[in-house]
Amino acid sequence: MSVMNPTQELVPPLAAGAATPRSRRADTRAPKHLRSNLTGYLMIAPMVILLSIFVIGPLGYAFYLSGFQINFYQAPKFVGLQFYRFVLTDDDFWSSLAVGLKFALMVVPTALVLSLLLASFIKTLTKRASGTLKTIVYVPAVVSPVVASVIFLFIYQDEGFANWFVGLFGSGPVAWLNSPVSALPAIAVPGVWLAFGVSTLILLAGLLDIPDSYYESAELDGANFLQKLWYITIPLLKNVLLYLLVTGFTLAIQEYQLPLIMTQGGPVQATTTPSLYIFKNFRDQTPFSTSFSLTAALLLFVVLGAVSILIFRLVSSDKAIDA
Amino acid sequence: MKQNSGARGLSVVLVALIILTSLFPLAWMTMAGFKGKSEVLRTPFQFFPDVWNAKNYVDIMHDPAFVRAMLVTFAGAVAFTVASLFVNSLAAYAFARLDFAFKGFWWVFCIVPMFVPAMAILVTSFMVVARLGMLNTMGVLIIPGVASAIQMFFLRQFYLNFPMAVEEAAQIDGASRWKIFTRIFLPQSKAPFVVVGIASFLAYWNSYVWPVLTITDPNLTQIMQYLGNFRSDRGNEWGLLMAGATLAALPTVILVLIFQRYIVNGVRLGGMK
Repeated sequence: MSVMNPTQELVPPLAAGAATPRSRRADTRAPKHLRSNLTGYLMIAPMVILLSIFVIGPLGYAFYLSGFQINFYQAPKFVGLQFYRFVLTDDDFWSSLAVGLKFALMVVPTALVLSLLLASFIKTLTKRASGTLKTIVYVPAVVSPVVASVIFLFIYQDEGFANWFVGLFGSGPVAWLNSPVSALPAIAVPGVWLAFGVSTLILLAGLLDIPDSYYESAELDGANFLQKLWYITIPLLKNVLLYLLVTGFTLAIQEYQLPLIMTQGGPVQATTTPSLYIFKNFRDQTPFSTSFSLTAALLLFVVLGAVSILIFRLVSSDKAIDA
Repeated sequence: MKQNSGARGLSVVLVALIILTSLFPLAWMTMAGFKGKSEVLRTPFQFFPDVWNAKNYVDIMHDPAFVRAMLVTFAGAVAFTVASLFVNSLAAYAFARLDFAFKGFWWVFCIVPMFVPAMAILVTSFMVVARLGMLNTMGVLIIPGVASAIQMFFLRQFYLNFPMAVEEAAQIDGASRWKIFTRIFLPQSKAPFVVVGIASFLAYWNSYVWPVLTITDPNLTQIMQYLGNFRSDRGNEWGLLMAGATLAALPTVILVLIFQRYIVNGVRLGGMK
């Protein structure tokens, strides 16, 4: 396995790519079918080598380690599915899964409904206005989760904007991030803020593919905005919506940067998402915490990976928009 | 007529609401940077500062660690973007245009990583780079993420749509595959390159957990790592933290504004992503 080889130099994969023109030139007199093979292999070599070392290798290594007890002093000892059993009987693992699901349930439908409304509205605007709005809506999507966390930490301070705002309605002050009840919803807000821009643009692209005539004839029949949304837009964008829903879920369930910076997973595990649980276990220096955390990671993400393969098949096999 | 002006009024309100939702957190952060210690956390809410004070921005820019983090991260992000455009477009071209032995196998090999979430291999990736002696180098930040299945896939879709005739004509003229790629395909790739290039730049610039794991050398501290450390060490200096966060977010926002046309079309171009 490439992983086991401590190679100091990592330049060769890149250099091999860069050297392609010269080695190609030297080969111009080789038979044609060989030539194409050589060129093809040289062109995919950097990609294949890098993916082997940094994705496929670590993935295989993770599966290997999840079956062995590794210890600094002894040779690895095969323990079968022990680690899997430990993880599956750990209450914290299941509670992190529940937190991840709750977080996804808060973020994904909210962001999707918001995006659909925004996209439908932006579509009705003039070209110039919609161009500007598209850019504005996209801006939060490029902000780093760290910056977003810091902004919302500031907003959730005792004397911060959020408490002023709820104070307007006579409630108040809330210890947003310090109460197990409000902490997760408080983290979901920046989650939505970071997510809605991309889905709005994707939905807008889908909306523009729906012929105007559909809406015109609905208007003649006296349909209002919501009726048009329900009877035309949503059925025709079914696949795009499904795609956004499922990818949104797999992404949201993996979220960990927001809780890592805003609450460190607290109070009392209320914001420890699955990825954060894995990350914390990894940094924990208890014996076998590494094997434990990577086994948990494998368990969770084999499932999520399978889900995303399914979506990928769905999306690439079918037309995204049935217009 | 009356209904029309009502609809227009509603439109204006909605536009204002969208702009507010999208930009308020960023504007609020920027404003906090201009406020003094007594003003930054104060009820009742006041958007603009009583006294405009650039002290926080000046102070943070005089922190050598902050400036170094910005510069080091920027240099890394540029190198990362260039390297990933090169590696991914080269493979994308080969998969779109060439025929070679076991192509189907290599295609699956390069696409599978798309479905491997980063967290699943975080631990073992760390072990790999540690064993390769890459900890505390720029290489550990740049190299592991360069090859990206999703970007390669995106670029390949683009190259598949190129007319075959162009390539055939060039081949008859005796141009090598390499020449066809660099002289014909690369110059035409501006739009998809901007889209995936921005994605690469953002991925590098915004990354936090990987640098936290692999970098302990203060000379190589990345900008998000700097902000994270600042938050845990000096988290109550809100004005200064907000000024730093504003400056850290600035390059990404500027990038979007410069390339807005490409990004908005890119969503269409990529179909799905």
